Order: sequence, then structure tokens, then C-alpha cells
Amino acid sequence: MVQLENGTNFFINDNVDVLIVILQRLDGGSLGVAACVCKLWCSITRNDSLWEHLCFRHVSPPPEGVRTVVLALGGYRRLYMVCIKPVLDRLRKWKKGTGFDESEVMKRVWMQHEVELSLSLFCVDYYERVFLSGGGGAAASSLMFLCNAVNV
Amino acid sequence: MKRDRDREREKKSFNGGVSNGGFSGKGKIWEEDEEETPDAGMDELLAVLGYKVKSSDMADVAQKLEQLEMAMGTTMEDGITHLSTDTVHKNPSDMAGWVQSMLSSISTNFDMCNQENELVLSGCGSSSSIIDFSRNEQNHRTTTISDDDLRAIPGGAVFNSDSNKRQRSSSSFSTSMLTDSSAARPVVLVDSQETGVRLVHTLMACAEAVQQENLTLADQLVRHIGILAVSQSGAMRKVATYFAEALARRIYKIYPQDSIESSYTDVLQMHFYETCPYLKFAHFTANQAILEAFTGCNKVHVIDFSLKQGMQWPALMQALALRPGGPPAFRLTGIGPPQPDNTDALQQVGWKLAQLAETIGVEFEFRGFVANSLADLDATILDIRPSETEAVAINSVFELHRLLSRPGAIEKVLNSIKQINPKIVTLVEQEANHNAGVFIDRFNEALHYYSTMFDSLESSGSSSSASPTGILPQPPVNNQDLVMSEVYLGRQICNVVACEGSDRVERHETLNQWRVRMNSSGFDPVHLGSNAFKQASMLLALFAGGDGYRVEENDGCLMLGWHTRPLIATSAWKLSPDSGTGAGEVEM
Repeated sequence: MVQLENGTNFFINDNVDVLIVILQRLDGGSLGVAACVCKLWCSITRNDSLWEHLCFRHVSPPPEGVRTVVLALGGYRRLYMVCIKPVLDRLRKWKKGTGFDESEVMKRVWMQHEVELSLSLFCVDYYERVFLSGGGGAAASSLMFLCNAVNV
Repeated sequence: MKRDRDREREKKSFNGGVSNGGFSGKGKIWEEDEEETPDAGMDELLAVLGYKVKSSDMADVAQKLEQLEMAMGTTMEDGITHLSTDTVHKNPSDMAGWVQSMLSSISTNFDMCNQENELVLSGCGSSSSIIDFSRNEQNHRTTTISDDDLRAIPGGAVFNSDSNKRQRSSSSFSTSMLTDSSAARPVVLVDSQETGVRLVHTLMACAEAVQQENLTLADQLVRHIGILAVSQSGAMRKVATYFAEALARRIYKIYPQDSIESSYTDVLQMHFYETCPYLKFAHFTANQAILEAFTGCNKVHVIDFSLKQGMQWPALMQALALRPGGPPAFRLTGIGPPQPDNTDALQQVGWKLAQLAETIGVEFEFRGFVANSLADLDATILDIRPSETEAVAINSVFELHRLLSRPGAIEKVLNSIKQINPKIVTLVEQEANHNAGVFIDRFNEALHYYSTMFDSLESSGSSSSASPTGILPQPPVNNQDLVMSEVYLGRQICNVVACEGSDRVERHETLNQWRVRMNSSGFDPVHLGSNAFKQASMLLALFAGGDGYRVEENDGCLMLGWHTRPLIATSAWKLSPDSGTGAGEVEM
């Protein structure tokens, strides 16, 4: 609860649209923390559109049809957690190591490639998860490498 | 039995090393050996101990032992003289790592320390027994001797009649025996670098023996490889074990059964797919080439020469689904071997891919063909539609090299490909020449190739204690995956080394050899673009141990390797405009 200048009280939970705008600026980890605050926040953060925003935040708007595909393959939240976040983290470390060209244009181009790669890996993940591991809901094994500590 | 006598002799020399007073005696035993074998001939007894007794080989091995001894002599300055001198090893497990690190650091400084090394050796040579070498450290430092004497101890002079030289070289052997003496006691063998060298030499000696049809010698050497391999660790041990098994199969003519193979190989290849990036690299680069070839086409048809589990196609379908302008109609023809239990594995894979296609909104059609060999198929069977309406891509990952085992097969298949008139042919093959006519050449090539492969597996599988980065809990890398991948490679090794004729299907050839073949058959290369390169580099950066993998561009083709050695190569081809035979549509 915040007290505004004109003396009225401002309850964030009463103004969900403001909450959403704020949450859109958070990163994945913080969204996870936010989900633990209360039931309302939990339901909002689990909304896939928030994660969609997070996935494509730094990239030029994704091509049409991405949403249907991603939703069919498991949703943006899963995409972010299983593919995009590890890919970005890993590549950030790699790029630092290789002294990469950090100009803005290059950044955007690389982001695009990273997202494309993540989408491909996400599709492979879906295929393995649903069709190859007997559909038991076990995590796909070919993406294990994304979860391992890298000796970078 | 001859071998028992050898063992006893070995034991004698070992025991001589154990008791302090027996050192000089031990030196004499070695001298006796050398007296019995006056010249560098084919001494099978020494061969059993791991030394191929041709003077050229002896020179090499003795030189390495010499270097090792010198290196160990210099380390005395760092306070670990007891390593090279005492027989009582207090902490053997520490020694191994310690010596390894010292040796690796010393080998780089070797030239600088050369002067000092010579002093050390001379001290050894001038004394009649090792015991002086061990006890009087001061001797090393103060004794001076000219360089000439020491240069007279090349390996080739081992059997020289000059007794002075022999004593020196025998003492160098004795010192190495010293380190080996620990093997006779319940202690870890310290000098794994030396045994590593010996292991490689024994492997090559065994292959040489097989080449010369000297199967008794080969048999003895193979057993010795087994003993030596145990003293190694990690990749070297596994490689040596697999090669020893393959050599043993060749010697005893116990060939692996082919019929059990196909479904088991699929499972093994899945594990291989999961533990290391080679297959993923292959799939992603080939997919990129196919994707680019299919731009602007509304109906596409991919023919996969070895469908296996169809792991390559989800990523392609996803890329097609998201391409600007929407996905084309996608048709997949999968070719596979007959299954031993008559299940229709191809149809099952096709069904899974169809479900995926429906999920992501791609129009999909699948057809499976069972064939023992690609040469059994031709363009008419494969139901090719007219090329104005449908663009065809042919994809072969680790499959075309199998055709080289039967004469005429590869030409027939390449002709069929030309009749199909594809827009692009993607070819992924191992980058090695395992198809040489001479066995020993093949063996050496394979040894180097698979050693590098196993090295890369070691590093990618070693990160087993992982901290999960996602919210979803993930178990650490499965060690079983690693083992299965090694079995997968082991089968290839077995095939390259043990089989012959039409059984030997792992006839890998290098990219240049394939280039010559494709060019002369009427194909032109298609350059894989920078997108493929970037994607491949990113993919590799994601792998643990990714700093060891290298993507190289080779005249339009991409090669993935481990450090400096390329291991697989992806290339893309199209029909040259003027290729004569059978180009064009296939009717009916």
C-alpha cells in the first residue's frame, strides 16, 4: 500500500493493470519470486503473455505465427525457462569470452539468432518429451546440456 | 610356457628393484638380457613386455624413457627426489597426479633443463649401481661430463657391443624399471605417461603383427595391451580397451553379429545424440542448407537416407512453420533397415512426426521404405512428383559411406539421386580416412580419430554435478548416456578394425575424398551460408566443455572438430547444369 500525495491510499492489488506493467519489466528470476507473493500475483505471473513479453523483449517483433507454435509446444513460460534463459545466459558468458562486437545492431541480430535457436531447441524438447520418453513428463534429455555448469 | 618364463623374469627384475641392495643385481639382469639378444632382431620376449624390438622402434621408446628419466631427475630440485630414487612410495595416489603435473610442466622447460639433465644421467652412468644414483644426490650435481657421451645413448645403441654405453642405457632401463616396480607391489603405477606411450606402441605393434599375419605375436601383444590399459585412466583407457577388443576379434576371427544391430544401434545413437554435439551439429547445419534451398517453394519433399528416430526433422518443421509467408506442404520419405522383430519402426516415427506437424500447423505426409541397402532403391520406387510442383531435398547423415563396402553401389545410388533431380543434397560424414586398403594405415587413422572423439566425450560428460539453472528441477548428466555413447563408438571401432569385405561398412572417407567423388559424378557444391556457421557456433557454445569444440569453414563446407582435429563435416550439393545421365523428371 502506498500513500499518494493527495492523501488517498493506493493498493497495488486493486490496480492490476499497473501491476502488469510493472511485472513486464522484471526478469525471469524476479517473476518467479513475484509468483510467491500472493494468489493474485501468482495467477498473474503465470499468465503466458507476461512471459511472451519477456522472451521477445529485446528482439524486434517476432514473425506472425510464432505464438501458435509456441503455445502448442508448451507455452512461453516453458520456452523461457527451458530454452531462452539458459541459452542467453550461456551465450552471454561465451560472448564476453570472445570479445564480441557489442554494437546495438549486432546485439539485435544476435538476439534474433539466439531466439531462433531457442525455438528450434524448444521444438526438439517437445518432440522428445512427448514422443520419445513415453510421455511421462520427464524432462527431455537432449537439452540436459543446457542445465549443466559450463567450464567457461 | 614362454610367457610364464617371461613373467618370472619380470618378477625377478621387479623383486630386484624392491630390495634396496638388489639394484646393482637388477642392472645385471638387464645386461644379461641384452647379451642374449645381440642384435636388434625380433625378440619376442621383449615384445611381450611391450617393446617391439626393431631398432627404429626401440630408439623411439628408449628415447622417451630417457626423457622421462631426465625429467624425473630434474624434479629432484623440487624436492621429490624420492620419486625417482626410493622404492618406498608413501602416498601413491598423490604421486600419480604430482608426477603428471611435474612431467607436463617439465616437458615444456625441457630444453632449458637439458644441460642439467645430462649431468644427472652421467651421474647415473658412471656409477655401477643404481643405489649410488639414489643415495648420493650430490653426485648428480657435481659430476660433469661432456655432451658427447650422452649423445651416444640413443635408443638404437641399446644393443651396441660397447659395454660402457650398454651399462648406461641399462641403467636408464633400470630406472624405468624402478618406476615399474611399483606395479608389482600393491601400489598404483606412478608413471602413467610412460605406460601411455608404451600402450600406443603396443597397439601399433599389434596391428603391425596382424598386418604381417604373425598371429601368435599379435595374440601376446593384445593380452599385454589389456594389462597396460588398466593402468591408464579416462579416455585413453577406453580407447585402448575398444581397440584391443577389436584386434582380438580380428585375431581370433570372432566377428560381431550383424543381425542384432539395427534397433540397438538406434538406441545407442540416441544416447550419442544426447551427450555430445556432433549429431546436433549435423542436423542443424543440414537443416539450414535445406531451409535455404526451399525458400519460395510451396511443396517440399525431403528424402532421409537413414531415418532412425527422426530427430532431425522437428527442428526443420518448426523452422518451416515460422518462415515468413507460412509453412509449405511438407512431405518426408524415410528409409531404414529391416527390423529383426518385423515391427514397422519407420511408420511409428512417421506417426510421431505427423502429430508434431499437426501441433505446429504444418501440412505433413510421410512414407517409409524398408531397404537393406540404399542401392536397392531407385527413383521410380520413391514416388517423386514433378519438379515444378515439388522441391526435393536428399539428406544423408553418416549413411553414404556404408555403400563403399560393395562395388558399384555408390555409383548406382548417385545415379538414382541424379534421376530424382533434387534441389539440394546434404551430406554429413565422419572426417577421417578409414577406408585405406592397407590395414595398418586404417588402424592408425582410426586410433587417432577415436582417441580424439573419446577425449571430447570425456569432457562433455564430466560435468555431472550440475546446479540446475531453471525452475524445473533437472537431474545431472546421466553417466549411462556417456557409457552408451562410448559403446556406440566402440561398435564403429570394431567394424573398422575387425571386419573385412562387405561386412566392413564403416568406410569413412574425408571431405576431400567425397568432394572428388561428388564432383566427378556430376554434382556442384553449394556453399553453406553464414547463418549455418553462426547457428553452429552458438549451438556449440551451449555445450559444457564447449571451449574444446571448433567449427571451421572449409571452402563452403562446415566441419566440427575437437581442438585442432576436425571430426565431422557437413557439405551440400546440387546437380551441375550439364550433368548428363538421367537428369530430369521421372515419369510414372
